[in-house]
Amino acid sequence: MCGHCGCGQPEMEHEHVHADGTRHSHHHDHEHRTTVIALNTRILAKNDALAARNRAWFAGREILAINLVSAPGAGKTTLLERTIRDLDGQTNIGVLEGDQATTLDSDRVRAAGASVVQVNTGTGCHLEADQVARGLNELRPPTRSIVMIENVGNLVCPAMFDLGERAKVVLLSVTEGDDKPLKYPHMFRAASLMLLNKVDLLPHVDFDVQRALACAREVNPDMSVLRLSARTGEGMTAWYEWLQREAKAASEAAFI
Amino acid sequence: MHELSLTREIVSIACNAASGQRVHMISVEVGKLSCVSPDALAFCFDVVAQGTLAEGARLNIRRTNGDELHVVTLEVEEAV
Repeated sequence: MCGHCGCGQPEMEHEHVHADGTRHSHHHDHEHRTTVIALNTRILAKNDALAARNRAWFAGREILAINLVSAPGAGKTTLLERTIRDLDGQTNIGVLEGDQATTLDSDRVRAAGASVVQVNTGTGCHLEADQVARGLNELRPPTRSIVMIENVGNLVCPAMFDLGERAKVVLLSVTEGDDKPLKYPHMFRAASLMLLNKVDLLPHVDFDVQRALACAREVNPDMSVLRLSARTGEGMTAWYEWLQREAKAASEAAFI
Repeated sequence: MHELSLTREIVSIACNAASGQRVHMISVEVGKLSCVSPDALAFCFDVVAQGTLAEGARLNIRRTNGDELHVVTLEVEEAV
């Protein structure tokens, strides 16, 4: 019988009459003919195209954009607060705050004196380039400023989403394991700079700095490392020097 | 779970290329160094594909050695 309409006719071209008198014909060649379309499209193509657009947007304004990543609680927001306060009057810093929910972090950053736009990702575990573009539209950072993009606290997902930043900076705090770079290699491989944060707590925790540095070097030999405490201010000068160098390089890169 | 975002992209790339035709199979390449779990992609796929031209389609995942992350081919029903 015809599997198409259940009319009892053999599976071939035929005609039949419906109860309402409508004449109805079928062409039952019944193979599900399919076509193969070659695509070779990169899955991240859309995000990367938007990231390239953000990058060009930053370059045209000589803005240094930093994608700040770490596990939750490593001290990204505390680092931003101190950086904003210490560089007040020297460098204009705007912040895009990525979190799943609340404006708690943006409130802290605003209190430190920076312009900030909160980007809530809802269920999302990382920021994507289009969210950054929308955030920039609201933030409107001035020429030659620094834009800090504080990503969602997560050492996995943000590694693969380019936002258009000049550099990813990863924070590792001494209250985490010293083997973190080996356990989350993608993130540490994607970063240009690692900030070893909370060094003021070293006397109180079992964290082997040499082992952490060796693990970091193993996954990314080109990554620079600075040790600091965003809480006490120890080691922050080297971070500010790094930022100034990158800001200068970002400004010069706009004209190549 | 960045695989959820990636699965949405896979379905969106496929449905755009299918131009209205039903999608039977989507073949993707996922490199071992790409930081993407094929199991998680497969897990998300049915849910993400629901209500689209790719509903009921098969997601064929080929593991490669590099960091590839591509939609390679698409099998769609021919327009009658």
